[in-house]
Amino acid sequence: MIKHHPSSKLLAGYATGELPASIAIGVAIHCKMCDQCQANVDALTAQLADQVFDAELTEPMAYENEQFDLASEAEAPMDMDFGNMIAAITADDEISEQSMVRSTSITVKGKNFELPAPLNNVRMSNWLNIGKLSRSSLNLDEGAIHSHLLHIDADGEVPTHTHKGFEITLLLDGSFEDDMGTYHPGDFIELNGEHNHQPKTKEGCLCYTVADDALQFTEGFHKLFNPIGSLLY
Amino acid sequence: MRYVMKQSTVESTRNKTIAPATKTRPMTTTAKESAPPELSQYLMAVAADRDKQAFAKLFAWFGPKIKRIAAQKLNNDAAGFDITQETMTRVWRKAHLFVPEKGAATTWVYTVMRNVIFDAMRKNKTQQAESLSDDIWPIEEQISEESPFQDHLMTKQLGELVKKLPPNQQEALTAVYYKQLTHEELAKQLNIPVGTVKSRIRLAVTKLKQQLGANND
Ligand SMILES: [Zn+2]
Repeated sequence: MIKHHPSSKLLAGYATGELPASIAIGVAIHCKMCDQCQANVDALTAQLADQVFDAELTEPMAYENEQFDLASEAEAPMDMDFGNMIAAITADDEISEQSMVRSTSITVKGKNFELPAPLNNVRMSNWLNIGKLSRSSLNLDEGAIHSHLLHIDADGEVPTHTHKGFEITLLLDGSFEDDMGTYHPGDFIELNGEHNHQPKTKEGCLCYTVADDALQFTEGFHKLFNPIGSLLY
Repeated sequence: MRYVMKQSTVESTRNKTIAPATKTRPMTTTAKESAPPELSQYLMAVAADRDKQAFAKLFAWFGPKIKRIAAQKLNNDAAGFDITQETMTRVWRKAHLFVPEKGAATTWVYTVMRNVIFDAMRKNKTQQAESLSDDIWPIEEQISEESPFQDHLMTKQLGELVKKLPPNQQEALTAVYYKQLTHEELAKQLNIPVGTVKSRIRLAVTKLKQQLGANND
């Protein structure tokens, strides 16, 4: 059912760990819902692992060779530190338990939603309600990049708007429509400044959104309310 | 004069099966080198027996590489050292979560390292100290808490293998995975330390994984 996936660029960035947390969270949530992207990420990760470790293969392996005298002088102190490190690490016999899969649930407009695990430890603001729209901002402290949970009540819509930067919308629950079609849970929609975007929902929906810039409304009446833009996405 | 062979190697060797490193291998033969296949065995030995020798071997292979990769990413030598310590500590403590059927040891250690680096970089850039990486890249979910073999759990093959385990491991496995007791509940029931329950389960799971892996080949 999922028709919209993160670009291969985002999947690769997710595998390397180089995306900002807000975007990585979006990709992570999508991958939990999309086996195909998860499989791509797994393959990419295996490749990356080969690359980063293989690139390092020409380095000496003092421990394995048991020939410390072959290591250059300069590396001797480091070897000693590593020896201490090994001793310190293995002195402690604790094992890490698997963290129980716990989930956070939220209530918006009387409806209960279970949040995906990647949001478990993200701090959220209180919900702000503007008509049929409710929004909670996530505190990830990433400067110009803002992420939110956005709930639109049944028959609600977001005024037509455009972005200077990018906008990612990941549908978590319910469905919505825009001029490009109908979206279902798991759909990952990436828009840039060129798109006009006017999501409407018949049944109501909950989205995870990331944008790097306040949206700008482009349609008559709503222009009056442009300041609202910064409250939404 | 240090190891001359900087570039020539890697691509061409990727698909070849590399014989286990021999003791006499001089360090300059790296042209024929790829990740040694024993890494995965070392990880499993750490998981099953807290094998320090095996851990030292893992450290010898990964430690210096992680240090250089991390120092480069964070642009800071001391950070490279810290990240090596944190990554290898997690390897020591989480080795039982490694599932050889799912991928190479290098891939698993890479994901552990990537998560540590991600959290460290976020700590540098933001005011926030929460670690998000294990939520974003759930290493631990590769085995779910409910059952490491959900798909196979009912299969005859696994049932047969479980019967071959020592009785105390069978008992622990059955209690936790079939009867859904917590480690603590089982420990209380048997009047043994929780640590003992954990290590019985760890040993059992490791053995099953090894055997399933062997049979699937
Ligand atoms: Zn997908």
